[in-house]
Amino acid sequence: MTNVVIAGYARSAFAPAKKGSLARVRSDELAADVVRALVSRTGVKAEDIEDIIVGCSFPEGEQGMNVARLIGLLADLPLSVAGTTVNRFCGSSMTSIHIAAGAIQMNAGEVFLCVGVESMSRVPMGGFNPMPSPKLYAAKPEAYIGMGDTAENVAQRWQITRAQQEEFAVKSHQKAAAAQADGRLTAEIVPISNGKSTFERDECIRPDASAEALAGLKPAFSKEGSVTAGTSSPLTDGASAVLVCSEDYARRHNLPMLARIKSIAVAGCAPEIMGMGPVAATRKALARAGITANELDVIELNEAFASQAMACIRDLELDPAKVNIDGGAIALGHPLGATGARITGKAAALLKREGGKYALSTQCIGGGQGIATVLEAI
Amino acid sequence: MEIRTVAVIGAGVMGASIAAHAANAGVNVLLLDIVKPGNPNRNAIAEGAIERLKKMDPAPLMGSRAVRLIKAGNTEDNLDDLKDADWIVEAVIERLDIKQALYKQIDAVRKPGSVVSSNTSTIPLKELASGLPESFTRDFCITHFFNPPRYMRLLEIVGGEGPQFAALQKFADVKLGKTVINCNDTPGFIANRIGTYWIQSAMVLALELGLEVEEADAVMGKAMGFPSTGVFGLMDLVGIDLGPHVNASLARLLPGSDAFHSVNRDTGMIEKMIAEGYTGNKGKGGFYRSTRGPDGKRAKTALNLQATAQGKLEWRSSKRADIPLVKDARKDLKKLLNSDTKYGKYAWGVLGRVLAYTASLVPEIGESIADIDAAMRLGYTWKFGPFELIDKLGAAWVASRLPELGLKTPVLLERVGQGKFYQPGEGGAMTQFALDGQYRPIPRAPGVLLLEDIKRVQKPVLGNKSASTWDLGDGVLCFEIHAEIRGSLLNMLDGDVLGILEKTVALVGKSYKALVLYNDDLREAPHKTNFSTGANIGMAYMMANIRLWGKIEGSMKDGQKLYQAMRYARFPIVGAPAGRALGGGCEMLLHCSAVQAYAESYIGLVEVGVGLVPGWGGCATMLTRWSQDKQQPKGPMPAVAKVFEIVSTATVSRSAAEAIELKFLRATDGITMNRDRLLADAKARALAMVAENYTPPEPPVLNLPGATGRVALKMAVDGFHARGVATDHDVTVSAALAEVLTGGDTDYLDPMTEDDVMALERKSFMGLIRTKESQARIKSIIDTGKPLRN
Repeated sequence: MTNVVIAGYARSAFAPAKKGSLARVRSDELAADVVRALVSRTGVKAEDIEDIIVGCSFPEGEQGMNVARLIGLLADLPLSVAGTTVNRFCGSSMTSIHIAAGAIQMNAGEVFLCVGVESMSRVPMGGFNPMPSPKLYAAKPEAYIGMGDTAENVAQRWQITRAQQEEFAVKSHQKAAAAQADGRLTAEIVPISNGKSTFERDECIRPDASAEALAGLKPAFSKEGSVTAGTSSPLTDGASAVLVCSEDYARRHNLPMLARIKSIAVAGCAPEIMGMGPVAATRKALARAGITANELDVIELNEAFASQAMACIRDLELDPAKVNIDGGAIALGHPLGATGARITGKAAALLKREGGKYALSTQCIGGGQGIATVLEAI
Repeated sequence: MEIRTVAVIGAGVMGASIAAHAANAGVNVLLLDIVKPGNPNRNAIAEGAIERLKKMDPAPLMGSRAVRLIKAGNTEDNLDDLKDADWIVEAVIERLDIKQALYKQIDAVRKPGSVVSSNTSTIPLKELASGLPESFTRDFCITHFFNPPRYMRLLEIVGGEGPQFAALQKFADVKLGKTVINCNDTPGFIANRIGTYWIQSAMVLALELGLEVEEADAVMGKAMGFPSTGVFGLMDLVGIDLGPHVNASLARLLPGSDAFHSVNRDTGMIEKMIAEGYTGNKGKGGFYRSTRGPDGKRAKTALNLQATAQGKLEWRSSKRADIPLVKDARKDLKKLLNSDTKYGKYAWGVLGRVLAYTASLVPEIGESIADIDAAMRLGYTWKFGPFELIDKLGAAWVASRLPELGLKTPVLLERVGQGKFYQPGEGGAMTQFALDGQYRPIPRAPGVLLLEDIKRVQKPVLGNKSASTWDLGDGVLCFEIHAEIRGSLLNMLDGDVLGILEKTVALVGKSYKALVLYNDDLREAPHKTNFSTGANIGMAYMMANIRLWGKIEGSMKDGQKLYQAMRYARFPIVGAPAGRALGGGCEMLLHCSAVQAYAESYIGLVEVGVGLVPGWGGCATMLTRWSQDKQQPKGPMPAVAKVFEIVSTATVSRSAAEAIELKFLRATDGITMNRDRLLADAKARALAMVAENYTPPEPPVLNLPGATGRVALKMAVDGFHARGVATDHDVTVSAALAEVLTGGDTDYLDPMTEDDVMALERKSFMGLIRTKESQARIKSIIDTGKPLRN
């Protein structure tokens, strides 16, 4: 079977929605800047790219109109490069990678750009026109449950206290702040210029986050609840991109390979505990890779909320020391559609940087799903 | 010359607030302050001041646009930018040397003919100007604003002659909305000269007569037409540390014979309070403080005035002063002033002194008694000026009682004798008494039209106890609401009010060209007045109690019909609100052909506060306006969600500018900054529409989402409920509102008319008013004036 590799990863720095440096930047232009940089950094021949596959959670407004095609045009890719937009909410751009891997394996192209983008400043969560089905809502109201409520449900059922969530959140900030200070995030970030200034530093990280400060916050979703803004990932703007190609192609063209894609999986779960989606998806992916969780050396598990991230770590018996080494979404931010490509690209880059054999990237998805990718060192 | 760019130097509270208000007027503003040593950001002080402007309460800024007009800078790097300013306001520390040094720097860069003014309250013009070249002083004057500059309508100007000052006065009047009083260059000008004397007398006499602060404030408050805070409460509000500066400057500048010295006694109390940080509301509290009791609860305490005589600062729990004499004083002030109680002695002791002092200051501080009265009304929010008060009491009566206070009768009071200071002259226009014994007209500036002037010379065309219609001339009628409830002009809408409105609309259709909806309440601070606070819910509550559901629904239909008749009338109807326009009052404006609003208009659909939904076409009109906004994203939901957000939270605009942002007003509606110009502007607007062959609008067509939209809104409300932001009954009311705004059982492809939406308004309204929870909300507002959160 054709081996598929990740041969490049880049992203914009992430900024808090509405008040951050990307609030006035269009999603399509932001993603195009990242794409342009990734193509030039990897040295891939643009005309070899089969398709640009863009994941986006709310593909409308400035990130609508099959934004993938528009990003390709904005980035001055050859007209021969096709473009498609995919939506699996937070799992969108990891799905982009999965689609590319499948296509490569069935010989439907050799090189793919797998991109994710979300401007939560400019397109609201839920979109401009939320129009739920009254019939489905009557039968299964949980289909539309708010993400915060699912985090509360997980905290309750898995008995994760507020103090534990806050300790987890503080650690995420500390790890991200240390990575930022040591320059460990610099290589992956594409500077975004608006003509006047350049944006190249993640803005959601709070190096001074403390358990005491977090303890003072009000519950964000339920009066009696334990989940606060401090233990949730912030609304974020950002874009990320991964170059996916066959191992043959990479070797032929001397592209810098980060990791090989070993297995992939998706799985559904109950919508009201969507945060537990990574458990079933990861188990499937590990089984398909023929390995166990304790063989993983690097794990990128999206921190949509501290409660679900902790519950997944517990259920999957992951080693916390290997999870989100450079910080997770609570600190870095979670631009919905962009996160899947970020954590998969990051897992690949970390596997190369830290050494080891296997890496995992996995995340939960609104509506009740999980998605997972197992990577293997080259 | 026209003032298009303003610079303010000094970004303290006054300077920054003046800059904010100039921005409210729509001009570019440069705000400068010094460079803060050690701060890498050289504009830190001015930028910090602009940030604070956004958070201050009451808000100095009228809308989100205004703040973008203010540019921050510093006096080292940006002095050159002053060359663009038509008017440069100096609002720096009250030190002559600093001010004069700054004037020299300004003079070196300013453009020829620009006006420079000082906002000083304590330094005379001749001192400020001394030693400066004539080329500077001929463009220099004092512009003395009152705090807060957005809300206080008085602007005292000292000095200045020539076209550049005419431009400044016009700008201050029309754009800043101020009543400009030209003052002589005398200490404290007009308002502070009298106001400081009033405050000092009230403080000293309270100590002397053994009154507590609550008692003194009850006497020297609303009952006599003074601000409801009373004098001690007022000092807390403006800052106790301000007094000594003003007093010291008056003491320095006034001749030894001036009566001010007799009340400027050093009690030791104020200095001690300031030294210990009790500077009023901005500090640790003042005469009143909110402190935590032994039970941990906050409670209001008041300074024990009498203990201060022994040099002690002690606060005890505050108690409301319940003094029957004071309660009656609004109707019978003389009864209080004649009383032999300590309250009576206090009331007359202070008032008699203030009135005599004021009369003795003519012509020193100004020749026009109308100007002096206006200064006290607009600068100190007195309901009546001192000469109006004398007229109320009788000049001879006032004179007869001055000897009790050991005071001589001032010449002016002697001259007016048995007469009055104000009396109607030929043709009915009001005239004022002058020192030479003559009555002279009170000039009204061009573009100022007051209903009170019209009322003096004509009878209403239509009218009853709650509403009247007046003829403004040129074919324009003015519909005025004057519906009092318990002494307050709440201007609630009931059968009486709407009956006159209906007849007026019919009459204009037959015999006139246009209609203006407007009312005068010039004795109240404009931001406390009411255009209309909406439908008379007391009446609705009564009918609900005896289950007259049909009658309630009938009056809803009548209201909808009347408002529709207004919207589709063949002549223009111009709403001219000032102050609050809430609920049905807001809906009245929503149905006008155009609105000319006073800048201080507070407009909102607040029905959910009493557990109801807008029922006179408010929902339909707001949906139409938001749907037609091309800035909004497309699709069935954005307009619905926006209106739902505004109405379900009972959002009230904090200015006319903000009302445009919320679409209670249209971008094409006008804003008048000067309250006195509102009626004339509205009339002019109506006549302009007549001249342009006004035609009524086409009825709108709405495409609403139906059930799917309702589910989307319900999910949002459920979230608020879970977070504890929305109460149980909020959920019910929101669902009823969502039913209206999403179009009931419609499908997005089915066009709906206003009538369809108004039928839904009635259905939701009638469903809600039957619930005991909504009835409890209504009762709470009627009984306590406070909303019930059930």
